[in-house]
Amino acid sequence: MTAPLPRPPRVPGRILDARLHLLDRQVLDVDGEPVTTVDDLELGDLQFGERPRSAAPTITALISGPILTTRLFGGRAPRGRLGRIGWEVVAGIDIVLTLGIPGGGLEVSWFEGWLGEHVIGRIPGGRHDPD
Amino acid sequence: MKAVLGLALGVLTAIGGFVDIGDLVTSSVVGSRFGLTLVWVIVVGVVGICLFAQMSGRVAAVSGRATFEIIRERLGARVGFANLAASFLINLMTLTAEVGGIALSLQLASGLQPVLWIPVAAIAVWLVIWRVKFSVLENVTGLLGLALVVFAVAVFLLHPDWAALGSQLALRPPPQSSESAVTYWYFAIALFGSAMTPYEVFFFSSGAIEEHWTPKDLGQSRVNVLVGFPLGGLLSISIAVTAAVVLLPQMIAVTSLSQVLLPVAQAGGTIAVIIALLGFVAATFGAALETTLSSGYSLAQYFGWSWGKFRRPAQAARFHLTMIIGLLIGLGVLLTGADPVQITEYSVVFSAIALPLTYLPILIVANDHEYMGDRVNGRLTNLLGLVFLVIILIASIAAIPLMILSAAGS
Repeated sequence: MTAPLPRPPRVPGRILDARLHLLDRQVLDVDGEPVTTVDDLELGDLQFGERPRSAAPTITALISGPILTTRLFGGRAPRGRLGRIGWEVVAGIDIVLTLGIPGGGLEVSWFEGWLGEHVIGRIPGGRHDPD
Repeated sequence: MKAVLGLALGVLTAIGGFVDIGDLVTSSVVGSRFGLTLVWVIVVGVVGICLFAQMSGRVAAVSGRATFEIIRERLGARVGFANLAASFLINLMTLTAEVGGIALSLQLASGLQPVLWIPVAAIAVWLVIWRVKFSVLENVTGLLGLALVVFAVAVFLLHPDWAALGSQLALRPPPQSSESAVTYWYFAIALFGSAMTPYEVFFFSSGAIEEHWTPKDLGQSRVNVLVGFPLGGLLSISIAVTAAVVLLPQMIAVTSLSQVLLPVAQAGGTIAVIIALLGFVAATFGAALETTLSSGYSLAQYFGWSWGKFRRPAQAARFHLTMIIGLLIGLGVLLTGADPVQITEYSVVFSAIALPLTYLPILIVANDHEYMGDRVNGRLTNLLGLVFLVIILIASIAAIPLMILSAAGS
């Protein structure tokens, strides 16, 4: 007989598992439009790859974009801009994460915006309202 | 009255939309080589696709999440990405086969070289996706696909020896058929893959989001699936029967789309051939639309892009760009002169290999209260789901060894 696992301490409030409830979840903006998927999390006062020293690091941002390659293949974080969405604009956490702001102006939306403006929107009918 | 019409339309669309180039080719090949000894696989495959299409539709209607969002959430970024890569490539292969199928059908109808029809087919598919309303594109191709009923009619016009067909159904191979056990099981997997092709589930669950389904629409969708898909499966079986009756005794093993038509020509002459060709064009065109959309759906859902035909194209720019690139790749492959029928034969086997990647996450999420509230799977659905998961796993694992041992069924 193995000893039963110790029960986790009771905490007031809801427990979120970063892997289970945050990573790889869809992010919608305030109007319900898809923005991105959570590719990684930025933890305050921790550098990339560093192990937490203090007991409880805090989440400061959702990250998306090229950082995904480090989760797929390992290796170093790509240089350049990280698609950062500050934790302060996250309004809801359910089976999707909801932001309290429109997604259009965010860093992670620039390619979608550029492509819509300069390529897809230029094709006749590209700005046509769906029926 | 309107409700009845809606129901009938849904069912008819599901019947006509069930058959694609994979079913056309594989059913006919199998009928011409094995008689009806593999028909049981179509039945098993139809039960499987009913089960999982319905499950993915329910998950989409209740949680608002389409299949690839779920795959990534449940399997994580890395395994989800491997899944995406495999599913996307196989879908691209199916897309290529369907566009090639449109071109071959138009060639049979017109006599003009398929190389002329390939660009026409690809551009037509893109134009329809670009401008035609989702419900219209689904319903029109589905209804025209009903022309394939001509195969069921042909079965009766051919006055087959019913007793002989019956004994083939009971797994006694016809005397002309001299295939080895390895080849038999290889084609069993191909037929299973053609019935359960993963794109159907991507399309079905994303279509539920496109049409803004709510749990209220689930009754209608259940009827569509549970009545429409089995009747669609009967069309597949009819194709196999016509090949078994006409081609097998003459030892003609089907290797081209025109041979699929031969029994219909013998049974009903020119008119029947014209109707069947209309069915071919509708079935391949409908499936080309579905696979093209699925290529956009899967990529957009994995990366969290905005997608769907219910948005302006400029507001789902990466989704539309993915579909354009997908069609261009398919077009490029076909213009090298690759044979769409051969691409089809491989795509159905690779589909079978990839099946567990799609179906396991759906089964898990359909049992997750966080997503489904109290609409999680019932016991019977889970039991069937698990049985099918085992079948799917066996088919997936056995596919490559059988492909090597049977030299891809040759």
